[in-house]
Amino acid sequence: MGQMNKKRDRLEVIFDVLKIIRDKQNSIKPTPLLRYSNLSSSSFSDYYNELVAKEFIKEITDKKGKKYITLTDKGFEYLEKYKLILGFIDEFEL
Amino acid sequence: MEFPHFFDPFLLGTELLFTTIAVVFCFLIYFRTRESYELTKYEGIKYFRDAFLFFGLSYVLRFLLSLAFLSRIAFDFIIPRSMFVTLFILPLGYFSTIGIFYLIFSSIWKRFKGKNLLILGHTIAILLSIISFLTRSHLILLLFQSVLLLFGIVSNSIMRKSEKKVSQIRILYLLVSLLWLINLWIIDRPRPLSFEIDIISELVSLAVFVILYYKISKWVR
Repeated sequence: MGQMNKKRDRLEVIFDVLKIIRDKQNSIKPTPLLRYSNLSSSSFSDYYNELVAKEFIKEITDKKGKKYITLTDKGFEYLEKYKLILGFIDEFEL
Repeated sequence: MEFPHFFDPFLLGTELLFTTIAVVFCFLIYFRTRESYELTKYEGIKYFRDAFLFFGLSYVLRFLLSLAFLSRIAFDFIIPRSMFVTLFILPLGYFSTIGIFYLIFSSIWKRFKGKNLLILGHTIAILLSIISFLTRSHLILLLFQSVLLLFGIVSNSIMRKSEKKVSQIRILYLLVSLLWLINLWIIDRPRPLSFEIDIISELVSLAVFVILYYKISKWVR
Protein backbone atom coordinates (compact mmCIF):
# COMPACT_ATOMS: atom_id res chain seq x y z
CA MET A 1 0.00 0.00 0.00
CA GLY A 2 2.82 2.36 0.97
CA GLN A 3 4.68 1.65 -2.26
CA MET A 4 1.54 2.18 -4.31
CA ASN A 5 0.86 5.51 -2.68
CA LYS A 6 4.47 6.53 -3.20
CA LYS A 7 4.19 5.70 -6.89
CA ARG A 8 0.81 7.36 -7.19
CA ASP A 9 2.25 10.38 -5.41
CA ARG A 10 5.05 10.55 -7.92
CA LEU A 11 2.61 10.81 -10.83
CA GLU A 12 0.58 13.29 -8.82
CA VAL A 13 3.60 15.45 -7.94
CA ILE A 14 4.58 15.58 -11.60
CA PHE A 15 1.02 16.60 -12.46
CA ASP A 16 1.03 19.31 -9.76
CA VAL A 17 4.36 20.77 -10.86
CA LEU A 18 3.31 20.87 -14.51
CA LYS A 19 -0.05 22.37 -13.57
CA ILE A 20 1.64 25.17 -11.63
CA ILE A 21 3.71 26.07 -14.69
CA ARG A 22 0.66 25.97 -16.96
CA ASP A 23 -1.40 28.10 -14.57
CA LYS A 24 1.34 30.75 -14.54
CA GLN A 25 0.90 31.39 -18.25
CA ASN A 26 3.46 28.69 -19.00
CA SER A 27 6.35 30.72 -17.67
CA ILE A 28 7.68 30.67 -14.13
CA LYS A 29 11.05 31.15 -12.44
CA PRO A 30 12.57 28.18 -10.58
CA THR A 31 12.32 29.71 -7.10
CA PRO A 32 8.54 30.40 -7.13
CA LEU A 33 8.01 27.00 -8.69
CA LEU A 34 9.85 25.40 -5.77
CA ARG A 35 7.72 27.38 -3.34
CA TYR A 36 4.38 26.56 -4.99
CA SER A 37 5.22 22.90 -5.41
CA ASN A 38 5.48 22.28 -1.64
CA LEU A 39 8.48 20.02 -2.05
CA SER A 40 11.76 19.99 -0.20
CA SER A 41 14.72 21.42 -2.12
CA SER A 42 16.30 18.03 -2.71
CA SER A 43 13.03 16.44 -3.72
CA PHE A 44 12.23 19.36 -6.03
CA SER A 45 15.66 19.06 -7.59
CA ASP A 46 15.07 15.35 -8.32
CA TYR A 47 11.69 15.99 -9.90
CA TYR A 48 12.99 18.99 -11.80
CA ASN A 49 15.84 17.00 -13.32
CA GLU A 50 13.46 14.17 -14.17
CA LEU A 51 11.03 16.53 -15.89
CA VAL A 52 13.82 18.12 -17.92
CA ALA A 53 15.23 14.70 -18.84
CA LYS A 54 11.77 13.48 -19.91
CA GLU A 55 11.32 16.67 -21.90
CA PHE A 56 8.15 17.67 -20.04
CA ILE A 57 9.64 21.09 -19.27
CA LYS A 58 12.42 23.21 -20.67
CA GLU A 59 14.45 26.17 -19.45
CA ILE A 60 14.53 29.38 -21.39
CA THR A 61 16.69 32.41 -20.66
CA ASP A 62 15.46 35.91 -21.50
CA LYS A 63 17.56 38.82 -22.79
CA LYS A 64 18.36 39.91 -19.21
CA GLY A 65 19.75 36.49 -18.47
CA LYS A 66 16.82 35.43 -16.25
CA LYS A 67 15.87 31.79 -16.30
CA TYR A 68 12.26 30.70 -16.86
CA ILE A 69 10.63 27.29 -17.01
CA THR A 70 8.00 26.40 -19.61
CA LEU A 71 6.08 23.31 -20.56
CA THR A 72 6.87 21.41 -23.73
CA ASP A 73 4.22 19.77 -25.90
CA LYS A 74 4.90 16.55 -24.02
CA GLY A 75 4.27 18.34 -20.72
CA PHE A 76 0.90 19.61 -21.97
CA GLU A 77 0.10 16.11 -23.16
CA TYR A 78 0.83 14.67 -19.70
CA LEU A 79 -1.54 17.20 -18.12
CA GLU A 80 -4.22 16.32 -20.61
CA LYS A 81 -3.89 12.55 -20.20
CA TYR A 82 -3.13 12.36 -16.47
CA LYS A 83 -6.67 11.57 -15.31
CA LEU A 84 -7.18 8.97 -18.00
CA ILE A 85 -3.91 7.25 -17.10
CA LEU A 86 -4.87 7.23 -13.40
CA GLY A 87 -8.23 5.72 -14.35
CA PHE A 88 -6.42 3.04 -16.36
CA ILE A 89 -4.06 2.22 -13.46
CA ASP A 90 -6.99 2.01 -11.03
CA GLU A 91 -9.28 -0.09 -13.17
CA PHE A 92 -6.53 -2.55 -14.08
CA GLU A 93 -5.16 -2.64 -10.51
CA LEU A 94 -1.65 -1.91 -11.74
CA MET B 1 -7.85 -36.74 -50.47
CA GLU B 2 -7.68 -38.79 -47.33
CA PHE B 3 -7.08 -36.88 -44.13
CA PRO B 4 -5.29 -38.28 -41.11
CA HIS B 5 -7.77 -39.43 -38.44
CA PHE B 6 -7.20 -36.37 -36.27
CA PHE B 7 -7.68 -33.83 -38.99
CA ASP B 8 -10.81 -31.74 -39.01
CA PRO B 9 -10.64 -28.89 -41.56
CA PHE B 10 -13.33 -26.89 -39.77
CA LEU B 11 -11.61 -27.21 -36.40
CA LEU B 12 -8.25 -26.24 -37.88
CA GLY B 13 -9.88 -23.28 -39.63
CA THR B 14 -11.48 -22.02 -36.43
CA GLU B 15 -8.19 -22.56 -34.62
CA LEU B 16 -6.28 -20.46 -37.15
CA LEU B 17 -8.94 -17.76 -37.05
CA PHE B 18 -8.99 -17.76 -33.26
CA THR B 19 -5.21 -17.54 -32.88
CA THR B 20 -5.07 -14.74 -35.47
CA ILE B 21 -7.67 -12.70 -33.55
CA ALA B 22 -5.91 -13.43 -30.24
CA VAL B 23 -2.59 -12.22 -31.70
CA VAL B 24 -4.24 -9.04 -33.03
CA PHE B 25 -5.87 -8.24 -29.66
CA CYS B 26 -2.70 -8.93 -27.66
CA PHE B 27 -0.64 -6.62 -29.89
CA LEU B 28 -3.42 -4.00 -29.95
CA ILE B 29 -3.40 -3.93 -26.14
CA TYR B 30 0.41 -3.64 -26.17
CA PHE B 31 0.57 -0.80 -28.70
CA ARG B 32 -2.47 1.15 -27.45
CA THR B 33 -0.95 1.40 -23.96
CA ARG B 34 2.46 2.55 -25.20
CA GLU B 35 1.72 6.26 -24.79
CA SER B 36 0.53 5.85 -21.19
CA TYR B 37 3.76 4.08 -20.36
CA GLU B 38 5.97 6.50 -22.29
CA LEU B 39 4.45 9.43 -20.43
CA THR B 40 4.61 7.96 -16.93
CA LYS B 41 7.21 5.16 -16.98
CA TYR B 42 4.91 3.50 -14.46
CA GLU B 43 6.11 -0.02 -13.67
CA GLY B 44 2.64 -1.55 -13.38
CA ILE B 45 1.80 -0.40 -16.92
CA LYS B 46 5.11 -1.80 -18.18
CA TYR B 47 4.41 -5.28 -16.73
CA PHE B 48 0.84 -5.21 -18.01
CA ARG B 49 1.94 -4.29 -21.55
CA ASP B 50 4.78 -6.79 -21.58
CA ALA B 51 2.42 -9.55 -20.44
CA PHE B 52 0.31 -9.02 -23.56
CA LEU B 53 3.37 -8.69 -25.77
CA PHE B 54 4.54 -12.13 -24.61
CA PHE B 55 1.06 -13.63 -24.81
CA GLY B 56 0.87 -12.23 -28.35
CA LEU B 57 4.17 -13.88 -29.26
CA SER B 58 2.95 -17.15 -27.70
CA TYR B 59 -0.19 -17.03 -29.85
CA VAL B 60 1.96 -16.30 -32.93
CA LEU B 61 3.86 -19.53 -32.23
CA ARG B 62 0.56 -21.29 -31.60
CA PHE B 63 -0.60 -20.06 -35.01
CA LEU B 64 2.60 -21.26 -36.68
CA LEU B 65 2.23 -24.63 -35.01
CA SER B 66 -1.29 -24.97 -36.40
CA LEU B 67 0.07 -24.02 -39.82
CA ALA B 68 2.75 -26.66 -39.48
CA PHE B 69 0.03 -29.26 -38.83
CA LEU B 70 -1.74 -27.98 -41.92
CA SER B 71 1.41 -28.51 -43.98
CA ARG B 72 0.94 -32.24 -43.49
CA ILE B 73 -2.33 -32.05 -45.34
CA ALA B 74 -2.00 -29.12 -47.73
CA PHE B 75 1.49 -29.78 -49.01
CA ASP B 76 3.39 -32.78 -50.09
CA PHE B 77 5.71 -32.99 -47.12
CA ILE B 78 5.50 -34.14 -43.55
CA ILE B 79 7.29 -32.46 -40.68
CA PRO B 80 7.85 -35.07 -37.98
CA ARG B 81 6.09 -34.34 -34.69
CA SER B 82 9.40 -34.44 -32.80
CA MET B 83 10.62 -31.58 -34.99
CA PHE B 84 7.49 -29.54 -34.18
CA VAL B 85 8.26 -29.90 -30.53
CA THR B 86 11.93 -29.09 -31.02
CA LEU B 87 11.12 -26.00 -33.05
CA PHE B 88 8.35 -24.59 -30.94
CA ILE B 89 8.49 -25.72 -27.33
CA LEU B 90 11.57 -23.68 -26.35
CA PRO B 91 10.32 -20.22 -27.45
CA LEU B 92 6.70 -21.09 -26.68
CA GLY B 93 7.63 -22.17 -23.16
CA TYR B 94 9.65 -19.03 -22.54
CA PHE B 95 7.17 -16.50 -23.99
CA SER B 96 4.09 -17.96 -22.36
CA THR B 97 5.72 -18.46 -18.94
CA ILE B 98 7.08 -14.92 -18.88
CA GLY B 99 3.67 -13.66 -20.08
CA ILE B 100 1.99 -15.25 -17.04
CA PHE B 101 4.77 -13.90 -14.80
CA TYR B 102 4.36 -10.36 -16.08
CA LEU B 103 0.60 -10.50 -15.57
CA ILE B 104 1.20 -11.55 -11.95
CA PHE B 105 3.94 -8.89 -11.56
CA SER B 106 1.59 -6.17 -12.81
CA SER B 107 -0.55 -6.53 -9.70
CA ILE B 108 2.05 -7.49 -7.06
CA TRP B 109 5.11 -5.45 -8.11
CA LYS B 110 4.50 -2.79 -5.43
CA ARG B 111 5.34 -5.31 -2.73
CA PHE B 112 8.65 -6.39 -4.22
CA LYS B 113 11.78 -4.87 -5.61
CA GLY B 114 11.26 -4.91 -9.36
CA LYS B 115 14.68 -6.05 -10.53
CA ASN B 116 14.89 -9.15 -8.35
CA LEU B 117 11.40 -10.12 -9.37
CA LEU B 118 12.28 -9.77 -13.05
CA ILE B 119 15.48 -11.80 -12.77
CA LEU B 120 13.58 -14.51 -10.90
CA GLY B 121 10.81 -14.54 -13.52
CA HIS B 122 13.16 -14.77 -16.49
CA THR B 123 15.28 -17.44 -14.80
CA ILE B 124 12.25 -19.60 -14.05
CA ALA B 125 10.86 -19.07 -17.58
CA ILE B 126 14.18 -20.10 -19.16
CA LEU B 127 14.48 -23.15 -16.89
CA LEU B 128 10.92 -24.27 -17.61
CA SER B 129 11.35 -23.94 -21.35
CA ILE B 130 14.63 -25.88 -21.23
CA ILE B 131 13.03 -28.66 -19.14
CA SER B 132 10.09 -28.84 -21.59
CA PHE B 133 12.51 -28.88 -24.50
CA LEU B 134 14.61 -31.69 -23.00
CA THR B 135 11.55 -33.77 -22.10
CA ARG B 136 9.91 -32.92 -25.46
CA SER B 137 6.67 -32.46 -23.54
CA HIS B 138 4.28 -29.55 -23.54
CA LEU B 139 2.46 -31.26 -20.66
CA ILE B 140 5.44 -30.60 -18.34
CA LEU B 141 5.21 -26.96 -19.32
CA LEU B 142 1.46 -27.04 -18.71
CA LEU B 143 2.01 -28.49 -15.24
CA PHE B 144 4.62 -25.85 -14.28
CA GLN B 145 2.53 -22.98 -15.66
CA SER B 146 -0.51 -24.26 -13.73
CA VAL B 147 1.57 -24.17 -10.53
CA LEU B 148 2.70 -20.65 -11.45
CA LEU B 149 -0.89 -19.55 -11.97
CA LEU B 150 -1.87 -21.08 -8.63
CA PHE B 151 0.97 -19.13 -7.01
CA GLY B 152 -0.34 -15.96 -8.66
CA ILE B 153 -3.86 -16.56 -7.36
CA VAL B 154 -2.66 -17.33 -3.81
CA SER B 155 -0.22 -14.37 -3.62
CA ASN B 156 -2.85 -12.01 -4.99
CA SER B 157 -5.45 -13.28 -2.51
CA ILE B 158 -3.02 -12.82 0.40
CA MET B 159 -2.09 -9.30 -0.71
CA ARG B 160 -5.70 -8.26 -1.17
CA LYS B 161 -7.29 -10.19 1.67
CA SER B 162 -8.82 -7.00 3.07
CA GLU B 163 -10.93 -6.62 -0.07
CA LYS B 164 -14.21 -8.46 0.25
CA LYS B 165 -15.05 -8.75 -3.43
CA VAL B 166 -12.93 -10.20 -6.21
CA SER B 167 -12.75 -7.51 -8.88
CA GLN B 168 -13.87 -8.09 -12.45
CA ILE B 169 -10.39 -7.31 -13.74
CA ARG B 170 -8.79 -10.03 -11.59
CA ILE B 171 -11.30 -12.53 -12.98
CA LEU B 172 -10.32 -11.42 -16.50
CA TYR B 173 -6.60 -11.85 -15.68
CA LEU B 174 -7.33 -15.31 -14.34
CA LEU B 175 -9.28 -16.19 -17.49
CA VAL B 176 -6.50 -14.94 -19.81
CA SER B 177 -4.01 -17.24 -18.06
CA LEU B 178 -6.41 -20.16 -17.67
CA LEU B 179 -7.47 -20.04 -21.32
CA TRP B 180 -3.84 -19.95 -22.37
CA LEU B 181 -3.28 -23.14 -20.35
CA ILE B 182 -6.19 -24.78 -22.17
CA ASN B 183 -4.61 -23.66 -25.45
CA LEU B 184 -1.34 -25.22 -24.41
CA TRP B 185 -3.07 -28.43 -23.39
CA ILE B 186 -4.82 -28.88 -26.75
CA ILE B 187 -1.77 -27.94 -28.81
CA ASP B 188 -0.91 -31.51 -29.76
CA ARG B 189 -2.80 -34.05 -31.83
CA PRO B 190 -4.99 -35.97 -31.27
CA ARG B 191 -6.80 -33.28 -29.30
CA PRO B 192 -7.72 -34.18 -25.73
CA LEU B 193 -10.96 -32.19 -25.71
CA SER B 194 -14.14 -32.57 -27.71
CA PHE B 195 -14.86 -30.27 -30.64
CA GLU B 196 -17.59 -28.45 -28.69
CA ILE B 197 -15.34 -27.70 -25.73
CA ASP B 198 -12.58 -26.47 -28.08
CA ILE B 199 -14.97 -24.05 -29.75
CA ILE B 200 -16.42 -22.87 -26.43
CA SER B 201 -12.94 -22.20 -24.99
CA GLU B 202 -11.99 -20.24 -28.13
CA LEU B 203 -15.18 -18.17 -27.95
CA VAL B 204 -14.66 -17.45 -24.25
CA SER B 205 -11.03 -16.45 -24.98
CA LEU B 206 -12.17 -14.04 -27.67
CA ALA B 207 -14.82 -12.56 -25.36
CA VAL B 208 -12.15 -12.01 -22.69
CA PHE B 209 -9.82 -10.25 -25.16
CA VAL B 210 -12.66 -8.08 -26.49
CA ILE B 211 -13.75 -7.07 -22.95
CA LEU B 212 -10.14 -6.26 -21.98
CA TYR B 213 -9.60 -4.23 -25.11
CA TYR B 214 -12.89 -2.38 -24.63
CA LYS B 215 -11.94 -1.53 -21.03
CA ILE B 216 -8.52 -0.26 -22.16
CA SER B 217 -10.03 1.82 -24.95
CA LYS B 218 -12.04 3.77 -22.39
CA TRP B 219 -8.83 5.07 -20.81
CA VAL B 220 -6.35 5.15 -23.65
CA ARG B 221 -7.31 7.64 -26.33
